[in-house]
Amino acid sequence: MQFRLVRYFTLASLGMFGLVALSLIYFERQQGDFFQRTGDEQRTFFNEVQQSFAQQQEQSARRDLLTIHEAGNVNLTRLFANALWDKDFAPFVAQVQMIDARACQEIADVDDDKGKKVAPPEKKACFTDLGKRIMALPDFKAIDAKVFASMKKSTVFKIKVFDLRGVTVYSSEHAQIGEDKSTNAGWRSAAFDGVPKSELTHRGKFSAFEGVVENRDLISSYLPVLDPGSSRIVGVFEVYSDVTPFLKQIQQTSEQIRSTASANQTKLEAAAVENQAAVDATSYRQFATIGLLLALLFAALLAIVRRAEKIIQQQEADRAHTHQQLAQSEKMASLGQMVAGVAHQLNTPLAFSQNNILMVKDALQSMELPMKVAGKLSSILEDVEGDKVTLKVAQLKANLDKLQDGNVDVSMLQEMLKDVLGGIDQMSELVVHLRDFTRLDRAATTNADLNKSLHTVAYIAQTVLPKNIELVEEYGELPSVECNPSQLNQVFLNLINNAAQAIDGPGRIRIRSLADDDKVRIEIQDNGSGIPEHVLPNIFDLYYTTKPAGEGTGLGLAIARNIVTEHGGDISVSTRAGVGTTFTVTLPIRLSEPLAKAA
Amino acid sequence: MKRLAGKVLCVDDEPGIVRSLQWLLQKQFEVFTATSGAEALELVKQHDFDVIISDQRMPGMTGVEVLREVRQLSPRTMRILLTGYSDMQAIVRSVNESEVFRFINKPWNIAELPKVVAQAITIAKTQPTDEDATDVSEEAPLVANGERILVIDDDPEMGRAVSELVGASARVSYTRNLADAVGILNSEAVSVIISETRVGSIDATRLVRLMKSKHPEIVTVMLTAESDADTITTLINQGQIYRFVPKPIRTGYLKIVLQSALRKHQALANDPALTFRHTVEATSAGTIEAFMSDVQKVAPQAEAAVADKAGGFMASLGAGFRRLFGVG
Ligand SMILES: Nc1ncnc2c1ncn2[C@@H]1O[C@H](COP(=O)(O)OP(=O)(O)OP(=O)(O)O)[C@@H](O)[C@H]1O
Ligand SMILES: [Mg+2]
Repeated sequence: MQFRLVRYFTLASLGMFGLVALSLIYFERQQGDFFQRTGDEQRTFFNEVQQSFAQQQEQSARRDLLTIHEAGNVNLTRLFANALWDKDFAPFVAQVQMIDARACQEIADVDDDKGKKVAPPEKKACFTDLGKRIMALPDFKAIDAKVFASMKKSTVFKIKVFDLRGVTVYSSEHAQIGEDKSTNAGWRSAAFDGVPKSELTHRGKFSAFEGVVENRDLISSYLPVLDPGSSRIVGVFEVYSDVTPFLKQIQQTSEQIRSTASANQTKLEAAAVENQAAVDATSYRQFATIGLLLALLFAALLAIVRRAEKIIQQQEADRAHTHQQLAQSEKMASLGQMVAGVAHQLNTPLAFSQNNILMVKDALQSMELPMKVAGKLSSILEDVEGDKVTLKVAQLKANLDKLQDGNVDVSMLQEMLKDVLGGIDQMSELVVHLRDFTRLDRAATTNADLNKSLHTVAYIAQTVLPKNIELVEEYGELPSVECNPSQLNQVFLNLINNAAQAIDGPGRIRIRSLADDDKVRIEIQDNGSGIPEHVLPNIFDLYYTTKPAGEGTGLGLAIARNIVTEHGGDISVSTRAGVGTTFTVTLPIRLSEPLAKAA
Repeated sequence: MKRLAGKVLCVDDEPGIVRSLQWLLQKQFEVFTATSGAEALELVKQHDFDVIISDQRMPGMTGVEVLREVRQLSPRTMRILLTGYSDMQAIVRSVNESEVFRFINKPWNIAELPKVVAQAITIAKTQPTDEDATDVSEEAPLVANGERILVIDDDPEMGRAVSELVGASARVSYTRNLADAVGILNSEAVSVIISETRVGSIDATRLVRLMKSKHPEIVTVMLTAESDADTITTLINQGQIYRFVPKPIRTGYLKIVLQSALRKHQALANDPALTFRHTVEATSAGTIEAFMSDVQKVAPQAEAAVADKAGGFMASLGAGFRRLFGVG
């Protein structure tokens, strides 16, 4: 399975960066929300504080107003009592007491629609009647005139006087005279407990001494009237005084406070919004910075990974390449080993066969003369008539004849042996060439006689070339060349094989060598098909072949060029369709740098 | 036919070979044969052989192993290794472990082989055995008496390594230029030459071979990064190389080699007769001339030439050749 480095890296790191960014955004949001929430809470709290402050301020101002006026009214009552009670009101009240109010008081109260006890209309009417009777009293007019005279031009808008039955004995608003106040909390507090009771009220319309006034804030106080010289409650006053200007002031102040508070609030809110914006802005800046940094990091890593992948791919390609070459050279090496083994196996029997035949030849040489002498002797003795000696000689002659019959002529034997030796020499030559070609027990880099190498390769190639291809070797005088001969053998063999494969039918391959300054040039020329124009640019490419699969691997020229380049040399080609092709290998005599170790 | 009183043992697992050798040699010498290393060693224990010829490739014991045993059992026996197609390690080991007198290739030359054997027998019979220092160890201190050691290698590290090993006990000259090497050899009495086979892409083995043929008391050690059967065979037969040290060099091993090389030189110097045991084959014709022309090419880069502007160095180089090798 292929490992796609860049893709996996991109996916994984982008995923991780995304996660990091998301969690950052999440936490920032949390933080922002928290700020906003606490900000809101603070603002509400501040608002409430201000509101309640304004409220309290107004309330206390009203309370103070009430208290001050009450105290004022108490004094007023006292003055009033001293001035009017004894002389005018006491007798008047005594007269009113004479009018019986029980009939009116006995009319029962009824529940109104809110469930509150109120006086029914007949009761009210009864009291109104009572009022009329009071006003009909003879002293009324004088008292009323006195009250009006003394109260005019004061802040007091109205005065009422009640007797201890709760009946309105006098009111500066005459319509109210006779009204029953016995159930009124203010009246009860003043009449029974002797405690003044005040109340702040707003009236749309009010009948004051000066006439009817509108829109007024009034403090009304129920005040007990004490019998001068004793502390006995003798009646109840009700005084209405006008506090509209004070209240207006109070309201203005509190309005001011409120508006200041709301201004503060707005300011606070603006500040909060600003803060929030600032916080948001910094967090956006933070996001942007972190995002930028992450992007930079990613870009850098991506660049590194890209580069790494490129290197890895390059190495992969290199490895595949060297693997190919290695496989090729390994194949060559193991082939070489086998060939060398065969050569060695052949060498041993060749060695003793040659030795023995040489010895036999020598021995025969030394036998030739005696045999000839014996032959001559026997033919001389042929005519001599028989005695014992003759018989023996005749016997000998018979043996010698046998020798001759069997074609055993010594010189002929020697000829035969010479042929055998010739055969053995050929075999030895083959063995030597095989060893020279494989060079297994030889140094990789050495000063070699390239003519010898070429001849060895030609010799080996000849064994596999078709018989109708003629190999012509034309060697010039060469200096020894520093090289790796076994690699160059491979080059020459590849070139000769290609040449042979380009020839269809009979043909000729010329192998030439010549020295050229500090270089040597080797040419392999064939009169084969030539290389077509469209093929020519590709011939040195690895795996490029025009031959059917199984016949050509396309490695030959690629390897050849590699080896020649390693030697600091050059390989070139010139070709003509139908005429033939010449490959020229140029090599320097001395290597400029040591060859790689691989053979 | 007169039969030389010499005993030769031929060993090869191929009976055809031993029989053939027997037929070839028995006219002149008393020949014994064996078809295995074990059989050969049995015979060596019973007889006093002058020469043993062994094939390298044999099942069981290899030729190198047989010769090493023989060297222990019978030091005076001259050892000849017969090689067909051979693996290099075996050859290098045969030099270092059994100090062979000659390598003979199969097929052998029918006229030459008996001559080589005869020469070996003469040496065995007439020359003393050099009791070689075989018991040197890495720990033992190096014994030297101010001998001069010449190191020829492209890598200056080699010179330093040798200098460090011998310290003050011997003088070490290092060069990477063969012309300088000739100059040093001409002006100094060098005892040991340690040389790489190729120096500055020139075949340096020729210098060693030539020196050994004229000055057999010099002990030669070759450093080799790669081994070539032909080179080593020639070096043994024509240069009687004392040891091969395969590169990369192990200091401990180099020390042992140096140690025994120095002892060897002392033995050879004390008893010149011993040098006959290291008689070499004649170098092939033209070797000296080819070598001289190669050396002359690198001479301008030699330190001595650079130091001396007057050009006297080139003249003295010629004189050096004349004096050292008797030519030029
Ligand atoms: N002498 C030549 N004449 C004509 N064509 C040639 C010649 N030499 C090479 N070529 C062309 O160049 C191609 C590549 O040659 P190369 O030696 O690299 O591979 P190959 O011979 O096809 O296969 P291989 O050598 O691996 O068995 C050949 O297929 C052939 O088309
Ligand atoms: Mg090809």
